[in-house]
Amino acid sequence: MLITKPVVIMELPETLNRETAQKFLLELQPLLESHRPRIVLDCSHVHYIDGSGVEMLLQCLEEAMKRDGDLKLCAVSPESEVILEFLRVERVFEVFLTSEDAVRSFSAIPAEAVSQDAPFYAGLFGEVQPLKQAS
Amino acid sequence: MLRAGVNAITLLGDSCYAPFRDDVDQAATSFPLKWGDDAWLGATRILRRHKEPGIDVTFLVRAAAYVDLDPLDALQFHRGQQQVVTRAFNEEGPLDIWVIDTARVTESDDILATLSEYEPAQYAVRGYVNRLEGPHDLRRLVVDSLNSRCRLRPQGSETRPGVWVDEGAQVHRTARIVPPAFLGRKSKIEEQCLITRCSNVESNCQIDYGTVVEDSSILSNSYVGIGLDVSHSIVNGNQLLNLERDVTLEIQDPGMIRRNAIQLKEANLQSADAFGWEEFDLCAGPGRGKARAGFR
Repeated sequence: MLITKPVVIMELPETLNRETAQKFLLELQPLLESHRPRIVLDCSHVHYIDGSGVEMLLQCLEEAMKRDGDLKLCAVSPESEVILEFLRVERVFEVFLTSEDAVRSFSAIPAEAVSQDAPFYAGLFGEVQPLKQAS
Repeated sequence: MLRAGVNAITLLGDSCYAPFRDDVDQAATSFPLKWGDDAWLGATRILRRHKEPGIDVTFLVRAAAYVDLDPLDALQFHRGQQQVVTRAFNEEGPLDIWVIDTARVTESDDILATLSEYEPAQYAVRGYVNRLEGPHDLRRLVVDSLNSRCRLRPQGSETRPGVWVDEGAQVHRTARIVPPAFLGRKSKIEEQCLITRCSNVESNCQIDYGTVVEDSSILSNSYVGIGLDVSHSIVNGNQLLNLERDVTLEIQDPGMIRRNAIQLKEANLQSADAFGWEEFDLCAGPGRGKARAGFR
């Protein structure tokens, strides 16, 4: 049986510079060291983020992924988006409009939601032959 | 204006811009700028002075919009209309360009009274007009210039089609400049950089290792750090304006962007003969930015 851990939402401070980033990282550390951490960072209050702040976010993401978890961002302000783009890291994070959307994205797709019918393209190719036979 | 046969040009500046006088004076070596409390009062004095040597027509231009104006055509129109004042217009409305019959202006009038007293003839500008009302317009002017949509041309030489490089600019052999682009005087493009999509890097700028500048303007004396992505933006010292999101940021981290202080000092020691985009306050409201041309 697979038991999924809850998703933890944390609010980032208004200013994310070297000092506040280190403080925030200390708070987040126990969670990052757990098995499969699932974290959403709410950026709605962030007004200023500098290189150290972005570095901290990357460090958290790396830690979470090392333990088979993930870290996602939500409610990113245009100002923060500009900085993330400027530092070329905007593609690294999954970003959601709201924390609900971010939490929902952690849920695995239930098996019953996946169609058991043949895919739409099956008719186009006929019966798929084993690779060796086909070649 | 000189090419059109205008034989006396006076530049006037309000004293509120005096902090920038070094930059402006450098740009105007041929026509030193005269500073006064109020440029309009200065213009009145100049207009009166023009009456004495018999200068019959004066062009009055407020440095606001960029206009591709044909002065001879405007002059002919003015003479044909037989009005005291002719004002240039385009489809968006009046422009701050007037042609004034110097001889018919009374001694007592100041220039603003003259302009409001006489119903002006309306001269329709057929050429390119950019009202430079904000940073978006500044960027549009650069793009239009690099794409030859107006008469403004980048300074320096066209080292290959569409790439304009001004004197003393350095480009590392591993950097890539995709035309059209402009590199200003003494600018430095470091290893692995990419300058692309109508970007202009103005004088005394440094773009550091691996940074991409795409569809952006880097204004004079700015440093852009290592491995950054500047897209759809204007950088002025430590200010970054993203035009797509309309967001202006003042970045405190000097490793990212900053005013290029050392080179600025060098620049002030030189007698600049070039025009460079300069000191465009990205936080200023529409029309309040002070742009200067990196183009001639």
